[in-house]
Amino acid sequence: MTKPSFDEFMHTALNDEQSQPKPQRDLWQGVERAINQAQPMQSPKQNNWQKLSGIAACTIAGLLAWQVIMNQPKQDSLANISAFFEQQKQSLLVQYETQPALTSDWQTQLQELEQAEQAIKLSLKQDPENAALLKMLAQVYQQQLDLINKVHQPRWQHI
Amino acid sequence: MIINAKEAFTQEQTDALVARCQQGDQGAFRELFEQHHRRVYALCLRLLADPAHAEDACQEVFVQLWQKIDQFKGQSQFTTWLHSVTSNIAISYLRKQKNWLQKVVSFEQSGLDEQGAEQLGELNGLDKLIVRLPERARLVFVLHAVEGYRHEEIANMLNMAVGSSKSQYHRARNLLQEWYNND
Repeated sequence: MTKPSFDEFMHTALNDEQSQPKPQRDLWQGVERAINQAQPMQSPKQNNWQKLSGIAACTIAGLLAWQVIMNQPKQDSLANISAFFEQQKQSLLVQYETQPALTSDWQTQLQELEQAEQAIKLSLKQDPENAALLKMLAQVYQQQLDLINKVHQPRWQHI
Repeated sequence: MIINAKEAFTQEQTDALVARCQQGDQGAFRELFEQHHRRVYALCLRLLADPAHAEDACQEVFVQLWQKIDQFKGQSQFTTWLHSVTSNIAISYLRKQKNWLQKVVSFEQSGLDEQGAEQLGELNGLDKLIVRLPERARLVFVLHAVEGYRHEEIANMLNMAVGSSKSQYHRARNLLQEWYNND
């Protein structure tokens, strides 16, 4: 039997609904949890406060990231910035402690970012003024804060 | 004719479910999910080329759908609207998922290799080839050839020039054809 042309192959594949892939896990459970959780569980005032403090932490992180890129600080100020980020991260974690996260693997993702942070810090010991490394470190810090915010307080995009 | 009647019936069913969802009926939303989640997942998988991310994006689509279902006014078919919502969410998801290195150093994500695509399991022949495409070529190919978007629309969605969209499409098609012929 001859092999169908590429166009025939593509046409058949795209019209064969039966061969469409299916997810490996039950997705409804997470959807149901999210849509029920999206209904107000706390007072609006409390929600606003959490949202504002989360945004503030990320903004400060962004400004610091910019400072890191522009000024290429020496080891001692880098240590201060690291301490500041760590403090922000811990305060966010405490703030969201009682609030369930929307995904179950966020801590694994956070660990991956922390590993990246450690790897960059190690490289910075060898080359403390490497601008690209400093920029990466700032990004990794900010991504950690964004991740913690995102999983506890999803800001769904506009459809 | 039988197929058309069946499609019309399904469309009617979907419209009725959507109307119930707009009244806040979560049971109807569950039915709507069961009816459409495989197609939504398939589109997410083609765009994202990663089953775990496709699952997350698919969930995000349905959560947003529940929150915004009032905005569906029936001007287009529900499935058309749903696919457009899915495409936008998956593209946005892809941007958000780029890791720290990819954000700092802007380079194009390559597709999966042949072995990686095989490991994805139940994919049909075309999907196994699509997930091997480099990111931009894959997005353009899926949006144009599978979802039927025009290059002008794709250029807008992906922040690229219309010419780039066309050349990425040809690049994708050539690669797919080459892989298919060598298979």
